[in-house]
Amino acid sequence: MDSSRRKFLFTCLGGIAAAGAGSALYPVYKYLAPQNTSANGEKVSIPASDLLPGDAKFFDFRGEAGVIVRKRSGELIALSAVCTHLGCIVQWERDKQDFLCPCHGGKYTEDGVVISGPPPRPLAKLAFTVAGGAIIVG
Amino acid sequence: MNILKSVYNWCEVRLGIKELVEKELTGYLLPRNINFWYSMGSIILFIFVMQVLTGILLLVYYIPEADKAFGSVVGIMNRVPFGWLIRMCHVIGSNMMVLFVLFHMLSVLFMGSYKSPRELNWLTGFVLFTLVQALCLTGYLLPWSQLSFWATTVATNSVGAIPHIGQFLVEFLRGGKLVGPPTLGRFYTLHIAVIPILLASVIGAHIFFLERIGVSTPPFGLDNTKNRWQGDAFRYEGHPGGIPFFPNYLLRDMTSIAIYFALLAAVVFFYPNLFFTKDTFIQANPFQTPAHIKPEWYFLANYQTLKLFPNEFIGLSIQGAAMTFLALLPFIDRGNEKHPLKRPLFLASASGGILLFIALMVWGHYS
Repeated sequence: MDSSRRKFLFTCLGGIAAAGAGSALYPVYKYLAPQNTSANGEKVSIPASDLLPGDAKFFDFRGEAGVIVRKRSGELIALSAVCTHLGCIVQWERDKQDFLCPCHGGKYTEDGVVISGPPPRPLAKLAFTVAGGAIIVG
Repeated sequence: MNILKSVYNWCEVRLGIKELVEKELTGYLLPRNINFWYSMGSIILFIFVMQVLTGILLLVYYIPEADKAFGSVVGIMNRVPFGWLIRMCHVIGSNMMVLFVLFHMLSVLFMGSYKSPRELNWLTGFVLFTLVQALCLTGYLLPWSQLSFWATTVATNSVGAIPHIGQFLVEFLRGGKLVGPPTLGRFYTLHIAVIPILLASVIGAHIFFLERIGVSTPPFGLDNTKNRWQGDAFRYEGHPGGIPFFPNYLLRDMTSIAIYFALLAAVVFFYPNLFFTKDTFIQANPFQTPAHIKPEWYFLANYQTLKLFPNEFIGLSIQGAAMTFLALLPFIDRGNEKHPLKRPLFLASASGGILLFIALMVWGHYS
């Protein structure tokens, strides 16, 4: 068999093998790829009466953790509860009115601004509205 | 290219790859009259690997808990992308595995390859056959459908016919008086860990025996079809002037695997419900026995045999005796002749046995 014919056949065989491998791996990739558990535009509704001044309420927001705080002044703020350092969920310290990330000691103010520790950025703010006695996040 | 050559040379001086390839692949010679039936082992090995891979993928979404198992399987089939493909390959692959193990056994029987000195190959093969059946039986319960639940109830109940210890064994198998959540836990563990590990180990032993003694010579197309083994000392059965395993025979093996794969794909895409009944799609209800619960096709002959005898113990004993006879066949059939047409008693018994198996299967299906 001359070498050009051999090369051509090997190329064809390689192409078929690659197509076969691709058609086997694509379903496996799609099978394992994360599925959207919640719609992107999903809103979360929390009764405003659930939050007393100085309290915080955690909730699931589009597959991540969110928190809404009613400051002692009565002002509301909604934040992502995911620490910007390594992704642990921050905890609300009611007596100190701040957030502590128990993983590596990151501290944030009630507005999500970094006070101390390793977090590189403040907690992300979430948009919300208050209507008919409910706080609607998203 | 130079880097690849350097890596190859680095490995070569440490592992002797060239010698290994020469010994196990290009210099590993097979009989010139080798036929398609010798590919059955490779096909079964391929199916086993496919079953392990699809099984691992199913574990990602399957929940082994009685009240969630059915829902998780419905989710795999309907919500998870390509979940239906992976599950159908697993379900149909399991049936194919039993079918090809039977083909493999029949080819070994008809070509007399079980004869001395290959008794250990036959025995390990027989153990593999029972392990494959056990794998299928335990996997059958996992979807927790009406069919799974009641087929397992019937299958585990038949053990109760053994005198004195029968009832104890039934409860031990089920983890309680009836099939329930403890049974699922047991069968799940057996199906995903215990039996696959045993199966892989026995496959290893089976291949080791084959490697040690050499591939048997098929009796077709030869003048002398007698067994060449002398029995005085260990001798590797070589095939001088035979076909190299690589690339020649491997290509034939790959062709057989491609044909099998086409068959699997044909069933998966065109007859996906071939092995399903309507009870497969209903969640298990321990308080509602469906009408006409029947086992999978490969257990239909056993099921019909049990029904034929008024005493379940006699039915079980006859099946046990038949299985023992089959397992010990190399020690019973000690003749030298390997060609099936020159073994009239064998040919008559084997053909009769196959016809009886098929007849019982069909009878069981329509009864």
